[in-house]
Amino acid sequence: MSAGATRIRARLRRSGFTLDVDVGWSERVAVLFGPSGAGKTLFLETVLGLHRDAEAHVELAGELLEDPGRGVRVPVHERRLGWVPQESALFPHLRVEGNLRLGLARAGGDGAQLRRAVEVLELGGLLQRSVRELSGGERQRVALARALASDPRALLLDEPLASLDLPLRARVLPFLLRVRDELGLPMLVITHDPDEAIVLGEIAIVLDKGSVVATGAPREVLWSRAVLPLSEALGLENVIEARATAARDGGAEVETARGLRLVVRGSLAPGERVRLGVRAEDLLLAVGEPGRLSARNVLPARVARLETRGGDVLVHLDAGEALVARVTEGAARDLGLEAGAPVHVVVKAQAIRRLA
Amino acid sequence: MSETPLLAITALTLRVAAVATLLLLPVAVLLGFALARRSFRGKALVQALVALPMVLPPVAVGLAILLAVSALDWPIAFTWWGAVAAAVAVCFPLLVRGCEQAFAEVDPRYEQVARSLGLGPARSFLRVSLPLARRGVLYGALLAFTRALGEFGATAIVAGIIPGRTETLALGIYSRVQLGDYRAALALCIASFALALVAMLAAEGWLRRGRA
Repeated sequence: MSAGATRIRARLRRSGFTLDVDVGWSERVAVLFGPSGAGKTLFLETVLGLHRDAEAHVELAGELLEDPGRGVRVPVHERRLGWVPQESALFPHLRVEGNLRLGLARAGGDGAQLRRAVEVLELGGLLQRSVRELSGGERQRVALARALASDPRALLLDEPLASLDLPLRARVLPFLLRVRDELGLPMLVITHDPDEAIVLGEIAIVLDKGSVVATGAPREVLWSRAVLPLSEALGLENVIEARATAARDGGAEVETARGLRLVVRGSLAPGERVRLGVRAEDLLLAVGEPGRLSARNVLPARVARLETRGGDVLVHLDAGEALVARVTEGAARDLGLEAGAPVHVVVKAQAIRRLA
Repeated sequence: MSETPLLAITALTLRVAAVATLLLLPVAVLLGFALARRSFRGKALVQALVALPMVLPPVAVGLAILLAVSALDWPIAFTWWGAVAAAVAVCFPLLVRGCEQAFAEVDPRYEQVARSLGLGPARSFLRVSLPLARRGVLYGALLAFTRALGEFGATAIVAGIIPGRTETLALGIYSRVQLGDYRAALALCIASFALALVAMLAAEGWLRRGRA
């Protein structure tokens, strides 16, 4: 489904902080990426219309929601934006079903949107539960379903996975991807996690200290010069999409579309698709054939280019898939790393995280 | 017990307090919500004015009501409606404050989410804000009701002490003490005590359920 163009200009002052952005995109799924305190939530809330004191121009997926020049300011309850705030904010006085039904007046009588949301997020068994009895992952799914049931024109998700621990995140992320892929809604998703930004977004908008510092394809933009200081602080990740091929040594072997093979921990059914993340500092580089190693993954690769960052060097690699390793400047010098040099990338199976 | 039986006095007292509380409730709920959520010019003045009947001598409040109703030509002076008017005035600050606090404790996030789901201001208030604040509102109402049960100063001025018509428990105690009938006064005291205790137990019960 194609989405119309989005253009958002907003200026908003808060004590000691100014949000000042002017950004446009035409992709359907945008991630808003940046460290905490960058103004991501304020940005999202301005799109939603919560800040009356913001000077804002909001055109979302082709729909004009706010334009002071033309005297347009659609009230929050008429914007039809499905919002999931960070803390999910489920109504404690209502059961799960009551939470989901609150937005039905807008969605219209037959509740088709509600049934679809319940089905996609697999909430059928939870409808009569009190929201206090829900686990963190269930809460996020209910909050997402509540937004979907109200028949929104677009989704605004504020760190939908941030409150979840890693194993839970891996369980909820597939639901988020399902919503993204099956419902075809324009989405604006906040994250401070590079994995999520890369996995979810078609375009990344990087925010720092109230301004947009970069926009572009997530994989490229998160490795760009302007963004690196931010993503480094947040843990720069290699994200690899792969399919399980066979069980091996109590783990599993996976293979990417371009033929990169990795051994990971945990059991996977052959054919199962996974998204894997590896931190740049968890990639070891070896020049020449490494000897016997405990690490399960030794991948031949070629150095694509080097980038100096503070005391470290980011080594961009081509190992079938593009990878980034971080080594110290001293190590880079000793190994004689330079563009085109053949190396081996060594990764322990334990260093590979399953994201989804 | 002199002329008016204990039961009739107690029933009148309950009726006055209940009617006053019910009349006050919608106004106090809306005003409390506005005070908790909106910032507007003169808000501090409104808050001060709302609190005024609580800090003025009740007798002065009673006199003000008496003057107001005679100026407006309302025939409620020296009727049980006069007692209701006195109770309304004296309990108003208590209930508005109670409601304001109850709404202030509701995270505005819930209202924002309700708006995002398409609920306009009125529906968001009725379906989200009010249900979430209901325990605090009811607690405030029970406190106001209990305060109304014991209201004396303003009631004596506006309603007078007319046995069988305006004589509530507090007024009855006072008039019996004046007459030196301490036995009868004590009986009314015990009735007052019982009513207040039941109301406060109910209020505390509510509060505890709210925390559970």
